[in-house]
Amino acid sequence: MLAGRVGALVPGVEARRQLADPGLALAFLAGAFALAVFVLYPTVRVLAYPSLQDYLSIPHSVRWVQAARNSLLSAVLSTTTAVAVGLAFAFATTRPDVPGSRFFRAVALLPLFAPPFMVAFSYILLFGRQGLVTRHLLGLDVNIFGPHGLWLVQTVAFFPLAMLVIVGVLESISPSLEQAARNLGADDWQVTRTVTLALARPGIAGAALVVAISVLADFGNAVVIAGGWPLLATEAWFRMEGMADLRGASLVVAMLVVPTTALFLLERYWVGRKRYTTVTGRGGRLERPPTYPPLKWASFAVCGVTSILVLLVYLGVVAGAFTAVWGRDWSFTLDHWRLAADRTPSLWASLRVAAGAGAVTAVAGILLAFLAGRPLPLRRALDFLAVLPGALPGVFVGVGFVLAFNRPPLELVGTPWILILALAFWHLPLGYQAAAAQLQQIDRSIEEAASNLGARGLHLLRDVYLPLLSRAFVEGFTVSFVRAVTNVSIAVFLVSPGNVVATFAILNMIGNGIWGGAAALTTMLLLVTFAVLAGARLVVGRALRPAGVG
Amino acid sequence: MNAVAEGVPVRLEGVTKRFGAVLAVDSVDLHVPPGKLVTLLGPSGCGKTTTLRLVAGLERPTAGRVWIADEDVTDLPAARRGVTMVFQSYALFPHLTVFENVAYGLRVQRLPAAEVRRRVMEALELVGLPETAERYPAQLSGGQQQRVALARALVMQPRVLLFDEPLSNLDAKLRRRVRAEIRMLQQRLGITSLYVTHDQAEALALSDVVVVMNQGRVEQVGIPEEVYRRPRTRFVADFIGEANLLPATFWEGAVEVASYRFPVEQEEVRDGPVTVMVRPEAVVVSQDASGLPGVVRTVFFMGMTTELLVDTPAGEVLATQPYRADRRIVPGEQVRLRFEPAGVYLLPAEDGRG
Ligand SMILES: Nc1ncnc2c1ncn2[C@@H]1O[C@H](COP(=O)(O)OP(=O)(O)OP(=O)(O)O)[C@@H](O)[C@H]1O
Ligand SMILES: [Mg+2]
Repeated sequence: MLAGRVGALVPGVEARRQLADPGLALAFLAGAFALAVFVLYPTVRVLAYPSLQDYLSIPHSVRWVQAARNSLLSAVLSTTTAVAVGLAFAFATTRPDVPGSRFFRAVALLPLFAPPFMVAFSYILLFGRQGLVTRHLLGLDVNIFGPHGLWLVQTVAFFPLAMLVIVGVLESISPSLEQAARNLGADDWQVTRTVTLALARPGIAGAALVVAISVLADFGNAVVIAGGWPLLATEAWFRMEGMADLRGASLVVAMLVVPTTALFLLERYWVGRKRYTTVTGRGGRLERPPTYPPLKWASFAVCGVTSILVLLVYLGVVAGAFTAVWGRDWSFTLDHWRLAADRTPSLWASLRVAAGAGAVTAVAGILLAFLAGRPLPLRRALDFLAVLPGALPGVFVGVGFVLAFNRPPLELVGTPWILILALAFWHLPLGYQAAAAQLQQIDRSIEEAASNLGARGLHLLRDVYLPLLSRAFVEGFTVSFVRAVTNVSIAVFLVSPGNVVATFAILNMIGNGIWGGAAALTTMLLLVTFAVLAGARLVVGRALRPAGVG
Repeated sequence: MNAVAEGVPVRLEGVTKRFGAVLAVDSVDLHVPPGKLVTLLGPSGCGKTTTLRLVAGLERPTAGRVWIADEDVTDLPAARRGVTMVFQSYALFPHLTVFENVAYGLRVQRLPAAEVRRRVMEALELVGLPETAERYPAQLSGGQQQRVALARALVMQPRVLLFDEPLSNLDAKLRRRVRAEIRMLQQRLGITSLYVTHDQAEALALSDVVVVMNQGRVEQVGIPEEVYRRPRTRFVADFIGEANLLPATFWEGAVEVASYRFPVEQEEVRDGPVTVMVRPEAVVVSQDASGLPGVVRTVFFMGMTTELLVDTPAGEVLATQPYRADRRIVPGEQVRLRFEPAGVYLLPAEDGRG
């Protein structure tokens, strides 16, 4: 106990003492090695691959300037609308007097479970040239491909992220503040403006940063619906696929990683600190005053319309899976499932990759969280590298792994391992944070247990560590698995002929106009996702959701 | 605001408030005289906060009327009642400075900047915190936050000031000091005040009138001395200070507890069974021949006093004795108890409550 205190003040001495333990020293080396090889090295490889000349030529390349400008434009537009919609949802779901409050909360979480291309795909089915809604119900001729389609799709896909952040802030606003404002003579609108929204401002800023990162990094929706509109995320893949232009690809993802990292750091180190603690002292149970009626109905309207759009995402895909020829023959069929069944090898490949990624994320997350909680050398560096992948777009990681592991000593290209490791370390922050949360509980209880019961090491391990760590494992595994099984942004760079994963197959089917098969295979992926989440819920006793960058 | 204002009276007539099945306030009649401080005292959940919120207009009564200054305000919105409240959790706006917190209500009224500035500084002066104006609430101590909350309520020059357990977040020492400050300010400004607490010592020390509540109803109303000396029910006797409640019989101007008979001068007591309330401080422990016999069970050293738990034929009796170095009472000792008239009051026998 005392040694721990002193150690915190004099890290050098304590760190040396800790490393004298061979087990711990080994774990430390393993963790540091893994981070260096699978996070730091690919990142450095990408940034160092283009020459200085290449970097300097960026402003002269019309295509790249255009892609960069488009990416920023779509980030601004989609972030604005996604945050506005997210705010409306956050408002509606934290105020029981808004009608449909609980329904809206449930619906708003749905996009988080959809594969990253699904919103775009579904909206092509519903609102495109052959759209069920636009063409066949409304008789319109609409071209959904392009920036406007992308804007709509990204708004629907990413508003839940904004909602989750803002809900956290709104819920922490003590009702007594609103009551106090009202008691001092403020009317409903003044209360909302000067107290509720004013206090939510840091949350809204944080939400905007989180959403902007996801929009910039969004590959799946962009590749499906942006049409010929160049964006940084898709441009990287076109360079690689079409022209085998590694240099161009690395240059583009390097351009992309600058804003995402800047936003990430801003969120983590600036907005994170600006949150207000609104609960001062002990409070009674108070109800929030009634919601300002125009605001209540405005948020109801926004949430209502958006909810329909969200439900349509799922309906569109499922309908597509059972419709003979979309746009021409609306009869019911199971043919697409036969086609999808032909692709079951890709589904198995997806499951293998996702299971591998889930396991590696969970184990690495636990190991690193354990190390980061100890007074070891380079502790802050470890922590930083463990959360850094949250700032990296998928396409950046994809290009990074290609560059880093296409030659000895670690030649992984062509094996399933490269995809597994890329996904595992990209998802590392999720496993790391889940494990850190569990370990915090252990630290407290273990001190008590140790002092109360004396040194009964094995019992301690069995009764305290294992249950909590297995929870951390299940959480880390599940979240990483679900995102891995639906991932496209990394998969497109790292699949090899023998290891085609389902999402890659779907993307090809969509590209080739095989919509029914793509819809059926997507539906299968959804079933897998929900089955795994339901299983995890049984084990950990609460619902998990995969949230983060695309 | 330094002038002593003409206080206004507050009246509640048959006020009832239901939340679904819960009867939070049950036909309460209440009168707060102009410029006085009345406390609502009672255990948790008895409806104190709800009563306060009914006066503030943050809640509408299910039945009954609320009057302020002889005007029926039952249907008047909170903002127009001229009533401000000091919240239990302070409810300071964390995103505003102390100055802006206090100015909030004045800004809502769109007063000119110069007047806002003058009145805010006056209010901060009043609570002794003018130098904290530019700080944020998170940079203040608990006691300072509490006083800012008070300034924010005072600056509105309210007709009525409401306090909801304003001291419950402070430690015991600070509580006494802020309590005295609140009382001084209230008397100096002459603002009619309604003050909620569940701390009987606070209520006795602070109030002109104490209202004891239980389960949504008013149990007794009186000046502090009266509710302490002459509780009308077992509940009040028990809730306000410590009380021994012993079964007894009353006849011919004297009461008999087990074998111990002593005279009691109290009006309107009928002959027959009664309950005797005896304050522990009024119990005299001796080795005399007369008094209620008993055996000392336990002795607690409390500093300048000693508390004894004595088993008697009438039941267990708690006695508080001044500490005496020369006379130590030990468990197992046979003693006699006598009761000082000032700490004795007769209640109806077993009224079934409390
Ligand atoms: N908004 C509400 N909805 C439902 N029941 C409520 C509400 N507010 C209060 N109550 C109920 O009314 C009763 C009285 O509550 P009130 O807050 O007035 O008690 P209190 O005397 O202030 O208690 P405390 O000392 O704990 O603050 C309680 O049973 C409480 O649960
Ligand atoms: Mg209360």
